[in-house]
Amino acid sequence: MGKAIVVTSGKGGVGKTTTSANLGTALALSDKKVCLLDLDIGLRNLDVILGLDNRIIYDIVDVAKGRAKLHQALIKDKRFDDKLFLLPAAQNADKSVLEPDEVKAIVDELKPDYDYVLIDCPAGIEQGFLNAIAGADQAIVVSTPEISAVRDADRVIGLLEKAGLKEPPQLVINRIRTHMMNDGQVMDIDEITHHLSINLLGIVFDDDKVISTSNKGEPIVLDETNPAAQGYRNIARRLQGETVPLMNIKEVEKKGFLQNIFSWFKKK
Amino acid sequence: MQNVVLKGHKNGYVIAIRADSKFEDVLAEVTTLFADLQKDKKRDSAQPISFNITTGTRLLSAEEKKKIEDVVSNYPLFSIHKFTSDVMLVQDAIEMVESKVVHLNANTVRNGQIEYIKGDVLFIGNLHRGGILRATGNVFLLGNCEGIIHAGYLSDAQAIIAGNVSKAQQVRIADVVDIISDDEEKMARDSEVVVYVNDLHALDYTERDQVKVIRPKLFAHMGGY
Repeated sequence: MGKAIVVTSGKGGVGKTTTSANLGTALALSDKKVCLLDLDIGLRNLDVILGLDNRIIYDIVDVAKGRAKLHQALIKDKRFDDKLFLLPAAQNADKSVLEPDEVKAIVDELKPDYDYVLIDCPAGIEQGFLNAIAGADQAIVVSTPEISAVRDADRVIGLLEKAGLKEPPQLVINRIRTHMMNDGQVMDIDEITHHLSINLLGIVFDDDKVISTSNKGEPIVLDETNPAAQGYRNIARRLQGETVPLMNIKEVEKKGFLQNIFSWFKKK
Repeated sequence: MQNVVLKGHKNGYVIAIRADSKFEDVLAEVTTLFADLQKDKKRDSAQPISFNITTGTRLLSAEEKKKIEDVVSNYPLFSIHKFTSDVMLVQDAIEMVESKVVHLNANTVRNGQIEYIKGDVLFIGNLHRGGILRATGNVFLLGNCEGIIHAGYLSDAQAIIAGNVSKAQQVRIADVVDIISDDEEKMARDSEVVVYVNDLHALDYTERDQVKVIRPKLFAHMGGY
């Protein structure tokens, strides 16, 4: 029996979909069978980031409404032989066409066949959010070091605690700009974790490559040397129960500094 | 055996109703009692008399009270001051305790949540920005408070807030609101204050030892002298 994990944040644009895609990929790479569920109906992106957008035939609304069987709608990612699947969102409908019970039924149907069912939650705390958390056993709350994202994360954690999921929510701090954090211009990791008072699952550094690889439909995790990819891999390992130390912000900064000097010499 | 007994008391007349008697019998006896009283009364001066009715370990329902009141209302000189009983409903008792006791609260109140407390609260949890801590009574703060603190919720302007409110967004007592960040002076006072509604019905800030002056009843209730 697998575990259903919802990736949520409240605020938009903090990297829920990127996190879902990369976490799913990282888990698939470590030989776990993963199904990604896109619940951002009307504004689906997960398929694009995974590079599976032109393979969609049926979607989650078709399944929920009985127009298609679940296995017909699931899209297999051929890069990870039989490890990574996607159930795409509908594009020609909106969030209110689904009911929490329908989503829960789909999640419950998927759980026996997969190790992890990752649910990509839409931004906001309305119907789409309620649908997304309905079938979940656990939640990953994604936030960035910005105050507005932290504030929304706080709100969402409150709602999650009230919803009474099986396990307490866990935090991922995304898009960390090391130099800003080291300069004290944004809240640091300890501050955010302490304020939200939930367990920190991992941190991910901001990296240009996250965007460029997403544009190509290849999740960043596939690039082993990338620090952001390392962050996602660490999160995947922690999800499986391993103890992995947090990446050091200072070291990354140093490396960046040296690289800066290096590139400075290169220019001359 | 008599079910209804009229007693003279230093505070006036008391009609004691036996708790284990049938209500029909009680009503009949009350009727005859007042008829007799009316007869005696004619000889005396026409002074109105008010009675207290005690029911021992019985609780009269509203209908039963109404029936007794109806009997008495036949006599313009007599009236019922109040009904008292030695017992009360468990539900009422719980509510009474709830509203008298100082509740200890260690919750985390997150953005968008409202923590509602009946009565006073000693808050030792975390109040996040955007969260509301709302009590019908006084609020005593030990925890970290960055949200909105509301004491005397709805209409108790006698309530106070005591503790460090320098990081809070707003303090509210009854219907009065103060935005903390608007007043740099209050912000600078990074220590414990007492917030109360003053005689002009505006929020005011004072030192902790002033509670005795501004709210003597509360001070006595808390054991001060």
